Amino acid sequence: MEQSQLARWFIRRPLVGLSASLLVSIILHVSGSRLSISFLSASLLAVVYSLLVRPRPPAYIGNAMIGGTIGIVIWAVSLPLTAGRNHTLDAGFMRDNFGSLIGWVFFGLLFAFFLQVFHRIILHILGGEVEVPKVTTTPLRIVILGGGFAGMRTAERLEGLLKKAPGATVTLVSETNSLLFTPMLAEVAGGSLEPSHIGTPLRGSLKRTVVVRARATAVDDTLREVSLMAAGGVSQVVKYDYLVISVGSVSNFLGLKQVQEEAFNFRTLVDAVRIRNHVIQKLELADKETDREIRRQMLRFVVAGGGFAGVELAGSLNDLARGILRNYPGIDSSDVEVVLVHSRDRILPELTESLAKYALERMMQRGVVFRLNTRVKDASASTVILESGALQAETLIWTAGSAPHPLLASLVFAKDKRGCLLVEKTLAVQGTQSVWALGDCAAVEDPYSGKLCPPTAQFALREADTVARNILATISGKPQSPFYFKSLGALCVVGHQTACAELTIPFSGSRSVKFSGLAAWLLWRGIYLTKLPSAERKIRVLLDWTLELFFPRDIVQTIDVR
Amino acid sequence: MTRFSISKLPSDIRNRCLASALAATCGLAGGASIASALHKPYPHLLLLGVCFGVAFGTFLGPLISSLGAGLIWGEGAAFLLWLLLPARAMPLWNNGALPANTMLVATRQQLPELIAYLICLGIPVGLAVGIYNSFTAAPDRTPFRWTRPIISGALAGILSGLVFDRWTLAGGFSPILAGIAGLSSLHEYAVLQTGMTLVLGALFGLLFQRDIRSLGSSMSWGLGIALTGWFVGPLTLFPLLRGLPLDWSPASVSNQFGALIGQILFGLLLGFTYAGFDRAWVLLFIQSDPLYKKPEGPGLHVFRSLLWGAGAGLLGGLVSAPFMFITGVLTMIVGTGTHLSLQMATLIHLTVSTLIGTFFGVLFRNERPGAGLGIAWGSLFGLIWWYAGVLTFLPLVTVGALDWRPKAATMLLPSLIGHLLYGAVSASFFLAFERRRPSQPAGATLLETDTEALLPKSPAPALCLFALGLGVLLPMLLA
Repeated sequence: MEQSQLARWFIRRPLVGLSASLLVSIILHVSGSRLSISFLSASLLAVVYSLLVRPRPPAYIGNAMIGGTIGIVIWAVSLPLTAGRNHTLDAGFMRDNFGSLIGWVFFGLLFAFFLQVFHRIILHILGGEVEVPKVTTTPLRIVILGGGFAGMRTAERLEGLLKKAPGATVTLVSETNSLLFTPMLAEVAGGSLEPSHIGTPLRGSLKRTVVVRARATAVDDTLREVSLMAAGGVSQVVKYDYLVISVGSVSNFLGLKQVQEEAFNFRTLVDAVRIRNHVIQKLELADKETDREIRRQMLRFVVAGGGFAGVELAGSLNDLARGILRNYPGIDSSDVEVVLVHSRDRILPELTESLAKYALERMMQRGVVFRLNTRVKDASASTVILESGALQAETLIWTAGSAPHPLLASLVFAKDKRGCLLVEKTLAVQGTQSVWALGDCAAVEDPYSGKLCPPTAQFALREADTVARNILATISGKPQSPFYFKSLGALCVVGHQTACAELTIPFSGSRSVKFSGLAAWLLWRGIYLTKLPSAERKIRVLLDWTLELFFPRDIVQTIDVR
Repeated sequence: MTRFSISKLPSDIRNRCLASALAATCGLAGGASIASALHKPYPHLLLLGVCFGVAFGTFLGPLISSLGAGLIWGEGAAFLLWLLLPARAMPLWNNGALPANTMLVATRQQLPELIAYLICLGIPVGLAVGIYNSFTAAPDRTPFRWTRPIISGALAGILSGLVFDRWTLAGGFSPILAGIAGLSSLHEYAVLQTGMTLVLGALFGLLFQRDIRSLGSSMSWGLGIALTGWFVGPLTLFPLLRGLPLDWSPASVSNQFGALIGQILFGLLLGFTYAGFDRAWVLLFIQSDPLYKKPEGPGLHVFRSLLWGAGAGLLGGLVSAPFMFITGVLTMIVGTGTHLSLQMATLIHLTVSTLIGTFFGVLFRNERPGAGLGIAWGSLFGLIWWYAGVLTFLPLVTVGALDWRPKAATMLLPSLIGHLLYGAVSASFFLAFERRRPSQPAGATLLETDTEALLPKSPAPALCLFALGLGVLLPMLLA
């Protein structure tokens, strides 16, 4: 709350309350009343009441009756104070103080009435109690590019911060109409969760933000406009005063065109749904196949990339493929093989070595095959060619690398060697006054480690908070604040009811606590369930997880697959 | 020369004039009735009736949009008039003041006036203006649908009547029919009582359907209608039906104190069941329609309200604990005379407070009032718990019997202080928790409309003053 507003609240309301209280006291006195109320207490209560209760629309009689009602409560509460040590507070004492009951009722009644009258008079003379912030005097256009964690949180925060600035408009440009909760994407691919349950509609979640479903194709910071391309090739230009770039990243196929053509991507809800249906399709086909080698080729699922996404997906696909085998009597469990290909000597480089080793062992126990220290070189419809040899497989899923969004290549702003936007500590894009960048598309320095912040949701959300605050600071002509956040840790699910957790211990420097197994898995579910936007989604996901405990996974195919 | 004609006036002023004229006529008749019933001089009371009617029609008329609203505003206004004149709150207009500590005795003597003001002035004038305004409602107003309140009300009446029957007839008396004699068997009582509860339920729905927004406020309307029913039924109509003269003397009224508590409990039950049926109706037939579906499901709202209510109840319990201790009721188990240790008593008090707070959360979750009305609802909730819990439920659990005599109520009167404070504080905190979340978005149906926005026309303030005022006054006056 602004200082001037606080002053109005703390000075105007009590003064109005005191005046009303004084007038009522005079009326009661002049009327010859012997109603025993303490006018000192009444004045104090009047101040408290007028501070707490907002001036209402002109409902004089209603307010008066409410005041009378509260007078009864005040009478009751004042009795123990009146009794002191000289009287026993029993029914007799209460009856003896019947006069003060009537007194408090009438005091409350008249006070609330005159409080309303005085508020009306003051409103006419001095104007409204809430001062409209300066930022509302001119229309402001804030445009956010990207509807991921960073973009949506920025919009949410701005809605809150600009509550009293009806002149400001926030526009969110997103390629999808929902926020995808990516930590649970592997569970959708594995058939544990219904796809729509991990997506939160942007239009429903954002109350006053204008949501534009389109792809940003260019930004002209001189003209302050963004060019958009909507579905059906409809182009549009959006003007801005302040721009937030949070377009995220895309898969990086490292120039392997054939791989790009053959492999499944794993970034969107559609990708996850497609992978699940593809796995089921392969099982359907393999069930009829009599040649074991062809069957194994059909049922070999190669996941490229041993980071969080790749490991979680491999674990989830392994559970899906093996879990639904009972429906396919023609397939032996040894025919199914989920292969994880990783270029380093250990998976999960984001976690410590002991946890990565645990994850590897647990996944191997469950049937996942690892090909470490090798890369995918090429791929065809039935073969995945690795540096270390070829794999007969009809499925390749790519999680091995990411690159900044293609839009960034067209921007004139400063970028690092990966193509990410270079930003100041305040997350303002270097060399600009009104453009901020955050999330996967920005090179944000971790204030603790001095390295770049990892592309995770926890960082994106905190960066969004900083950007929203800094936009408001810029509008109000105040200094911006730097981004400051220490990672809370990392969690990774590696298979059925098994996860690895590495959590930072607060106020202990870089120390962390590491654990794995069921406890880590429960923590994963607990934390991500609370992080899911909207309670409705939380309940839906919780129901999905509960149903999964009792029923087998669904093998209904929902889309056609290639 | 232009002749004055009322038909040339703007419609709102014309309606106000006609409502005032109607109210003045009713007031005149009411004044005459009071004079006749209390054997008082006619001129004063006729003048009083006309003034009341004109003032009511002029100032309160525009706020009344339904029959039920008229009834409650009428009762609230009549109660205030009684406080102002016979109870001698403003002695300048009333032949001098009384010392505060003797006011109770004097006010007790004015009990017949209270009943007369309510029966002869408040109720008829309020109903008359309510009926008039119902027929002259603005054309853009949502049309009133009769089916929902009648069916929900009748079902609620039957259900609460059955529950109440089983309980009270087992004890050999029926508070709803208190004052009616001449029925030969318990069976006849049961049939008549069920019929009456059905009618009362349907009437309740018709009167208050527009004003009820939550289970809790419905219970409060139930409390209001119970007080009305007690004044109209056992104190007035039933004796007249038996051919007896009206006896509104304090001693006679005291004899019906048990019936008052019984009626209050029935009113609370009726209000609760009515709101339950009504919400079920809304859920099944209105909100199930995708056009009106809320973005947030009811289950979640209930869950959140439970949590907020528990937190608010705990805080209310903490604040009210010292008052409970001072009044000596904290460590006492009702009806048994047994005392607990302070620690154990505080622990039990806080646990019960938290539990009752969850009730408050669930009961008042759809109300979303302003701060003032919120505190008033909370105080009323405290009063309800005093009648339902301290006067009824706790004795039943601890000693296995009910004692609804004024003397028993007097013994428990000090605990009312803590209950009122508990209700007010819990409601304030609940409101604070609730305010942290945005209110219903635009396009919400009438049931979800913010009460705050409707405050100028809601009779809720009148109900709070009338029900809380009489709820506190009557046990003191009738002892």
